[in-house]
Amino acid sequence: MKIQVKDLKKKFGSKEVLKGISLEAESGQALGLLGRNGAGKTTTIRIIMGVFFQDSGSILIDDKPIERDKLQIGYLPEERGLYPKKKIREQLVYFGMLKGLSKQQAREATVKWVDRMGMNEHIDKKLETLSKGNQQKIQLAVTLLCNPQLIILDEPFSGLDPVNAMLLKEVISEMIEEGSAVIFSSHQMNYIEEFCNNISILNGGKIAVDGCITDIKRSYPRNTINVFSAAHSELCPYITNKLGDMAVSAKSDEKTNCVTVKLKSAKDKDKLMKLLVDSPFDIDGFNVKEPTLNDIFVQYTEDGI
Amino acid sequence: MKNFFKILKFEYLNCITNKAFIIITVFLVCASGLFAFLPGIIVNFAGSSSEEDAPADKIAIMKSSYDDSLVKSEITPFFPGMEVIVTNEDRKTVESKVDNGDYSFAAEITSPLTFVYITKNNTIYDTNGQTIGEALKNMYTVSELSKHGLDQKEADELINTGYVMETYSTGTDQAKNYLPVYLMMCILFVAITTYGQLVTQSVVSEKNTRAMELLITCAKPSELMFGKVIGAGLAGLTQLGIIFGSMALPLTFMPSDLIPAEIREYIKFPVETMLLALLFFLLGYFMYAFLLGALASFASKSEDLNGLTTPVMFVLMGVYFVLVFMCSSDMVNSTAMTVLSYFPLSSPMAMFVRSTLVDIPVWEIIISVVLQIGTIVVFGMLAAGIYKIGVLMYGNPPKPAEIIKMLKKSK
Repeated sequence: MKIQVKDLKKKFGSKEVLKGISLEAESGQALGLLGRNGAGKTTTIRIIMGVFFQDSGSILIDDKPIERDKLQIGYLPEERGLYPKKKIREQLVYFGMLKGLSKQQAREATVKWVDRMGMNEHIDKKLETLSKGNQQKIQLAVTLLCNPQLIILDEPFSGLDPVNAMLLKEVISEMIEEGSAVIFSSHQMNYIEEFCNNISILNGGKIAVDGCITDIKRSYPRNTINVFSAAHSELCPYITNKLGDMAVSAKSDEKTNCVTVKLKSAKDKDKLMKLLVDSPFDIDGFNVKEPTLNDIFVQYTEDGI
Repeated sequence: MKNFFKILKFEYLNCITNKAFIIITVFLVCASGLFAFLPGIIVNFAGSSSEEDAPADKIAIMKSSYDDSLVKSEITPFFPGMEVIVTNEDRKTVESKVDNGDYSFAAEITSPLTFVYITKNNTIYDTNGQTIGEALKNMYTVSELSKHGLDQKEADELINTGYVMETYSTGTDQAKNYLPVYLMMCILFVAITTYGQLVTQSVVSEKNTRAMELLITCAKPSELMFGKVIGAGLAGLTQLGIIFGSMALPLTFMPSDLIPAEIREYIKFPVETMLLALLFFLLGYFMYAFLLGALASFASKSEDLNGLTTPVMFVLMGVYFVLVFMCSSDMVNSTAMTVLSYFPLSSPMAMFVRSTLVDIPVWEIIISVVLQIGTIVVFGMLAAGIYKIGVLMYGNPPKPAEIIKMLKKSK
């Protein structure tokens, strides 16, 4: 299954919130949706879910207009919310039935997912008696109740402690392996890097950059090299003297025992390597410094909204 | 509408298992039970104790020119359960005995048609003096007639000649129906208001707990709105059924001599009137519940509800008070009442009152019902549209003009 969002535009009053958003996600893959607050992530997700209607643009499933009734979608909204005064089993069965499961299927799915979340002992308790993190796990169980083909998670890790975050990571990885398509919005770049092959960074209602994370990283100039050595303070002036005009700058970092060398041209990497091999210093490591997802995010969104 | 019945069932169970709902139902069942049984118990208890134990109250009439037996025979029938004494005591003694409570009250007949009424406290509700006056008039007539050859018995029969009247209405009996209809109108008003509030509470709590966003991705707004309104309405009917059932069933099977006459009248309340009340309750409830539900969708928290629903509640209260005024001013047959019985927002209560107090053709009721059903359908669709816009709005509730603008845009 492939979901395509094409040229989505949406205005609220006179404010144009989406100015032509296009995305794509496939079964067995996760797409990371990034952007600053107000960039249009939640609006895009809500349009996909049919909460709002777009002013123009389309949402296609396998090249046909989306029919939400026929597609099992698991949705974890940014604003979490279930019935605090209802028992967990009761409300999960209700939501399961609303999602199209029979009563029996909804009951079985409830037991399965509550168990998977490690919440078995709480199944007949009222939701309000649980901690915020546990309520979040129940919310995730509701999202996955119908074994969705498409999973949309809006900030799924907010409010989870590291142990619960680990559980959530496992569950999402399983769903991806089982063939679900996941659209995943988060500000936590490490989780995005862990799950997502592709990202779309939204800025001011437009796509600032999108594509495969590795390709995006490789598209940056590969002329900055990290050299690791215990003798980094002596190594730094040595490299500067030997490279001469080839080096733009060289900085030593005591914390990481690293000398970061910026070359005029990426082609000069070989010369730097040869220089290091011939040097009297003990070299621990050498790599091309790639931008982090955080660097990319800041670069594409710092001009603001 | 595949999710409609699931939502309806969930909302219905939600309402009837709600603690407050259960407590109110139990309280009202107890109160209605008391209402049904207590008057009978009090009457029977009071009746038995006064007859067997307590001494009869005494009325003292000071010796006069009238024959003692005539005084007793004319005054006694006016004061059943009281003993009439003709006394030779002087005025001071009689006054002190009235003051002490030995006599309930007394009278000194100073001339054939003049008397002094002696009582401890003369209140505005005390009519004993006037009653003694009526008896005195009879005594005078009897004694005057006896001068013309009629004995006391013949004279009494002559002055007490009465007539018997039976009323047969070819249409409706307003006099007989007025009180029960008035009571049903009150119940209609309270029921529409109360169960309408159930819908508003349900909407606002789902919005407040943020369950709404998930719900509207699982079901259509029209399914959610109709499920809520009908679910709460059924819960309301269940509650009313339990309350009226708990009152009507024991009364039906209770021996009739244990039931006070006033309550017997309510039990005899015609079935067709009850069915009309049920029909107009349903129509009125749906009409107002859709409006209230739609407005509640703009509330971010319960505190916002009052401001949003006040205009609708004002309309409902206005209709109620106008109808109360019309009923008490004998205007049930007026043109204004006819107009109100066709205007959808007032017709559930107005047509109920008209159809039970005035003899109107059936087609008038049918037209009013059709108009109301049409309005409910329009309100229902409008409410579903407003609901979809409103449920995701947080912050200050929008003004009516903004709501209309948003509705136009959503189409």
